[in-house]
Amino acid sequence: MCHRSVGLVQGAVEAAGISTASVALRPEITLGTNVARAAYLRFPLGNPFGEPDQPAQHHRILEDLLVLLETATEPTVIELPYRWRRWEKWL
Amino acid sequence: MESKVLDREEFRDQYDKWVKFVATNHHGANNRFNVDPAFTPLQKPLAEARVALVTSAGVHLSDQEPFHTATVAGDSSYRVIPNDVDFSTVRFAHTHYDTSSAEQDLNVVLPITRLAELVERGRVGAASPIHIGMMGFNPDPSAIADTTGPAVAAALTDADVDVAIFAPG
Repeated sequence: MCHRSVGLVQGAVEAAGISTASVALRPEITLGTNVARAAYLRFPLGNPFGEPDQPAQHHRILEDLLVLLETATEPTVIELPYRWRRWEKWL
Repeated sequence: MESKVLDREEFRDQYDKWVKFVATNHHGANNRFNVDPAFTPLQKPLAEARVALVTSAGVHLSDQEPFHTATVAGDSSYRVIPNDVDFSTVRFAHTHYDTSSAEQDLNVVLPITRLAELVERGRVGAASPIHIGMMGFNPDPSAIADTTGPAVAAALTDADVDVAIFAPG
């Protein structure tokens, strides 16, 4: 339900003229709730930006969200290619 | 491997199943979604943009009222988390995800340190003076949609925020 709560508030913030992007760990809920921009990660709940004390990983995910903000021209949900505990290979 | 764009319709059955699951398992459950989702193109380059963070991971401060996690109705309220927060005062009130990663490193759910680093590098213009903590367990999201959403939007507008980055718990 976290994803629906996030998606509904995200929708209100976007409607107020603020550009938004979210992390999604349950893509069906984020897609169903209908948001402007989101990036799906196959990470466990509770870890939307990755593992604790892994700043490079957090930055990789944030950068992907920033690029999505810069490039999307319509509501867009993407899937990021990273896998839990195997993210190093993508850095 | 590249990022790929997901098609809403491909996840329709899975979403409908989830909505049904919530309706079956939570008293008073209801469903809402953004009927006609807004899309606001970036209004300025990110290097000039002020960025806020929003989390539904139950983040609140030790001197703020914790979220109600025991009620079937959920908790639609939100907490303002200052950008200059002392991490030792941050608490997590949420019973529907494993909070251990967040307790070890707040940045896993609310990347305030990472945002400061992005500002330092010039990737984004500034950190918002405030961020938002919510608790995502809301079987009936009507209040989230009708009250919390507009209130959070107003708080971020008042803080001159250009971009908001959201993450679930």
